[in-house]
Amino acid sequence: MNAKERVMAVINHQKPDRMPCFGANSTVTYEQMEKVGAYWPEGHNEAEAMARQALAAYSVLGFDAVRVPFCQTFEAVALGCIRKPGKVREFEGVPGIEHPPPYKLDDTPEFPDDFLSRGYIPQLIKAVEILKKEVGNEVPVVAGIIGPFTIAGSLLDSVPLLKATFKAPDKLPPFLEVAEKAGTTLALALVEAGADIISCEDMTASPELIAPKTYRDIELKYQRRQFEAIPVPKILHICGNVDPIVEWMGLTGADILSLEPKASARLAREKCGPDIVLMGGIDTATTLFMKDADTVRKGCEETIADGIQILAPGCAVAPGTPTENLLAMVEVAKAH
Amino acid sequence: MRVLDDFSNIFKRYDLDLEKTGEARSVSKDATLQEIAQFVVDGDDEGILPVVKKALETRSPLDIINEALIAGMNEVSRLWDEGVYFLPQVILSSDAMNVGIAECEAKMGKSMDRKSTVVTHTAEGDIHDIGQVIVNALLNANGFKVVNLGADVPVEKVVAACKEHKPVMVTGTALMTTTMTAFPKIAHQLKAAGLSIPFICGGGAVCEEYVTSYDLGIWGKEASQAPGMAEDATEGESWESMRGKWNG
Repeated sequence: MNAKERVMAVINHQKPDRMPCFGANSTVTYEQMEKVGAYWPEGHNEAEAMARQALAAYSVLGFDAVRVPFCQTFEAVALGCIRKPGKVREFEGVPGIEHPPPYKLDDTPEFPDDFLSRGYIPQLIKAVEILKKEVGNEVPVVAGIIGPFTIAGSLLDSVPLLKATFKAPDKLPPFLEVAEKAGTTLALALVEAGADIISCEDMTASPELIAPKTYRDIELKYQRRQFEAIPVPKILHICGNVDPIVEWMGLTGADILSLEPKASARLAREKCGPDIVLMGGIDTATTLFMKDADTVRKGCEETIADGIQILAPGCAVAPGTPTENLLAMVEVAKAH
Repeated sequence: MRVLDDFSNIFKRYDLDLEKTGEARSVSKDATLQEIAQFVVDGDDEGILPVVKKALETRSPLDIINEALIAGMNEVSRLWDEGVYFLPQVILSSDAMNVGIAECEAKMGKSMDRKSTVVTHTAEGDIHDIGQVIVNALLNANGFKVVNLGADVPVEKVVAACKEHKPVMVTGTALMTTTMTAFPKIAHQLKAAGLSIPFICGGGAVCEEYVTSYDLGIWGKEASQAPGMAEDATEGESWESMRGKWNG
């Protein structure tokens, strides 16, 4: 099986030749950038560099997918946020959103007609086209979008958003409508450009930030609507310990749930049933970045024993992560 | 045969496991003070002001601060520890408490006496200051003066604030592994400046092994540990001794 056949076999509930391994989030590191000769910040805003860095997941690491982009600002910038460069001193990092945010809770956000040609989105679409041309049907192209709650958090800033979940939940729908439309519109454009899988990151929907009932009563319906509109397999990634909401994550229409090791894969299986595919594996900060390859192997084996079907870093890979730790993951996947 | 004498759970619906239930305990027998505490527990930063104003006619500002506002926030902190309350509720309660404290301080004509000063910040390059918001709220609620430097704070600014405010301890939060590398630099510069104060580091990406690899560093696992650590630091405990107690 090639990488795409392997991944699609798992999604279609057929037996793969071995366990696939790839990231639901960014897996780019400084060492990979050196190997492929493409660096940040270009990788965040130029299609060619972005595609070359994404390819490293396959060509350098041997992962079973290639994935763009590497930050969470594309939709937000197209909706009026300002991108804050990731550079801290001599290190090029991951861009964020500049303060203050463009909206206050009493404002009415707008969805621009020319959304797809705004900010860095044209470069992201072009990067997917380049990747598709490069890997064809050998390797699946994973394209990332951001979930409604997280985009709303960029538009309003997270503290006002969190307060509103209790104080003024009725003011959130206009922001979530625009945010959902942004992610969905981007996803459809990325699918047209050649994306085989859409990966939706929604970190602000984590129970570590909002109450579980806020996820169930407010966010769930927007995620469902979004996933219903996207015609390819979908990954839903929510950071942190998602045990209190995993049951509803299973109702979004996602084909794959991407879990951090602090969430229980066993509970996810029990709550979501046999049809959902579970991906995850190893903590990106405390293990993948900090520890050695042996600890990585051991951690991966533990999560596989808990029912993980696609081995993956638990969240976005820290750019300083050593290559040998990522290679150790592939080694474990090959043995299963 | 055991006789059932508590019927409160008899009709409990076990399918409703959405959130743990738990109620705030009463903090004062004085109805006025209890009412104010309830506004803090409910996170009502608008409703609390007229009630505090009215109470100030008959109660001392210090009693209101200690027995209603801070006592209410301690209940919130307990409900958060027990998983009953979530982050948005803690933020709203902290806002309500601060509105009340500001009103009492205006009446006193001076700031309330604080146990000691703590400088808090979120690492340079990191704009996710959620963890720090909680730390600030809990330190405030426990009577410490918080010098809040906010998010994305350069190393030099943290060191300068410590020189200026002479805190008993300083905290740093980082959500991203790319930004926590600022912590050892801060620790190094503090030491060089003769400020060997405990430097509590925590947040999503930060682990014990990393924090204890540099001098002054103490790993903060949970935001709720911050007040206890600040108590130790106020009593003059060294960073080495605090590390031995809170880490490892």
